[in-house]
Amino acid sequence: MVRNIKAAYLMLSPTIIWLLAFLVVPVAMIAIISFTTNTGFGGILYEFSTEAYTLAFSSLYAQAIWQSLWWAGLATLSCVLIGYPFAYFIAHAGKWKNLLLLLVMIPFWTNLLIRLYSWIILMNNQGAINNLLIKLGIISEPITMLYTPFAVIIGLVYGFLPFMILPIYASIEQLNQSYLEAAEDLGANPVRTFFRVTLPLTFPGVLSGIVMTFVPAVSVFVVTDLLTGGRLLMIGNVIKDAFLVEMNWQLGSAISLLLMALVLISIVILMKFTSKNNETSSFM
Amino acid sequence: MSDNMVYLEEVSKKFGENYAVHKINLDIKEGEFLTLLGPSGCGKTTTLRMIAGFEKPDEGNIWIDGKQVEKIEPYNREVNTVFQSYSLFPHMTVAENVAFGLKMKKIPKSEIDEQVHRALDLVQLRAFSDRKPKKLSGGQQQRVAIARAIVNNPRVLLLDEPLGALDLKLRKQMQLELKQLQQELGMTFIYVTHDQEEALTMSDRIVVMNQGQIEQMGLPDEIYERPKTKFVADFIGETNFFEGTVKGGEGSNLYMSIGEQKVSIHNHSNIESGEDIYLSIRPERIHITQEPGNKSQDYLKVKIQDKIYIGSVTKIVASFSDGQKITAHSPYDKTLHLQEGDNLYIYWNPENAVIFPVHEKEKIEA
Repeated sequence: MVRNIKAAYLMLSPTIIWLLAFLVVPVAMIAIISFTTNTGFGGILYEFSTEAYTLAFSSLYAQAIWQSLWWAGLATLSCVLIGYPFAYFIAHAGKWKNLLLLLVMIPFWTNLLIRLYSWIILMNNQGAINNLLIKLGIISEPITMLYTPFAVIIGLVYGFLPFMILPIYASIEQLNQSYLEAAEDLGANPVRTFFRVTLPLTFPGVLSGIVMTFVPAVSVFVVTDLLTGGRLLMIGNVIKDAFLVEMNWQLGSAISLLLMALVLISIVILMKFTSKNNETSSFM
Repeated sequence: MSDNMVYLEEVSKKFGENYAVHKINLDIKEGEFLTLLGPSGCGKTTTLRMIAGFEKPDEGNIWIDGKQVEKIEPYNREVNTVFQSYSLFPHMTVAENVAFGLKMKKIPKSEIDEQVHRALDLVQLRAFSDRKPKKLSGGQQQRVAIARAIVNNPRVLLLDEPLGALDLKLRKQMQLELKQLQQELGMTFIYVTHDQEEALTMSDRIVVMNQGQIEQMGLPDEIYERPKTKFVADFIGETNFFEGTVKGGEGSNLYMSIGEQKVSIHNHSNIESGEDIYLSIRPERIHITQEPGNKSQDYLKVKIQDKIYIGSVTKIVASFSDGQKITAHSPYDKTLHLQEGDNLYIYWNPENAVIFPVHEKEKIEA
């Protein structure tokens, strides 16, 4: 028995070493640094201090945190509303399925940074969208899109939509067709079959999609950097600036930890909320 | 049109280039337990799915309770299905599963509760109302699937190999329960199975299908005792086939040869001298003895090759002088003294043998 346990640990050791080196140690370092004393210009004095947290909870940073959660949440919701029909369509596209999946994944082959530049060109006051709308006579003056929260949401949705589509697609694809036939057999028309059977049974995919979209969206900084020229802040920008501009490692570490805690809490709440309604949903 | 509960007229269904079902005619009476029996790929499930509405026939018409239904969607048909895999909704409790069909019909909640209770009582699962299907055994899930279908009081209940996933003992028990349930409810059942024993046990009438067509339709004993095609004789139960040419004179003195020995043929099957035929004789219809009696012509001399004890009977495998084999079933005590290599005399009543022409040009319909 004892030998078996030893053997098990031995076999698990690559995983354990990996997790230690790339997860536990870095997080521990951030946690320690966040409680040290700032000596300016990135200096770290190993003396206990909560100064970084006092600063992190000040209105400027707190506002950036709430703003991030709000925008990322809104973007995630939009991704669900756009991504689900999209995934549903792909799953039922027959022989076109693989081609459509490829189209969903092709954007990954180019850096997000470059793809966001093209949105600048599109959303500019003299950009393609405004020009088109003016030509069609729908508007007379260009609408300012860049540098607004609208641009941020567009950027987030655009950047993370595939992370929503793919897990939802997988769950629709795996859905046993006989459940749908059973519903039809029992008198449910296609609409009711969808809301009573398909949607609840593919909800685990939606949950995975929510996590995979929300987590990166809440901390991303390139979207705000590019589409608002750094005028609007998300928590990712704040962290980046704390480390690279203000050279305040304690502050950057503290906000990183707070962000991690917030994301974790959001996921736990989401899990609790959904597992009550749906016992069968296996999370991620 | 006809006044049957379900009526199929010249119905065909193609998958790609191949006919899964080819021009079948079928009528099912109200309150009847009808079984579609056949090997996998014979078209029995496709036929059932066309009645349910999951497949649309390429040709022909289907009537259910006097209404022509080819263009009616499954959710508007007054039939319900018990699926092979049960297909219970995993996100709903047992009671919610059973209530699903009634909810779709927008029946008042209090009435739904009452009917769900009654249906679950019928399958003895009232105590499991609040469980999720995954927490139930295979047999219990099966019963939920049945309750979920019958609670809607359909005109016809369609069952697609519903007992296929259960172990033998439970299957036998459920066969009896299903039959009993059908008689209690007086509901029309159309049952699909590849298990001939199941079909014989439960059905009022059996339809044997092969390669998309109906081979024979009839009562269980008709199908077993008087198969109309070689396929039916072969598929239902165990049998011995011998191929040969009919010889002999006028009237009732027809015979054929097995090895060098003559076998009398009962002339009920409209055959004539010179015809090539198959003779089929069931193992349990063969009598064995070690001393030939008086009517020596009917006794066939064989050599015992194998003696296999299979419980209810003992199976004797014997061979003719030309190497053809025959299997006979005999009571255990009659075979005690027999040994491999012994000579044996066998005989059967010619009336119990069934004759088929070798060249079956056309299928015989009931």
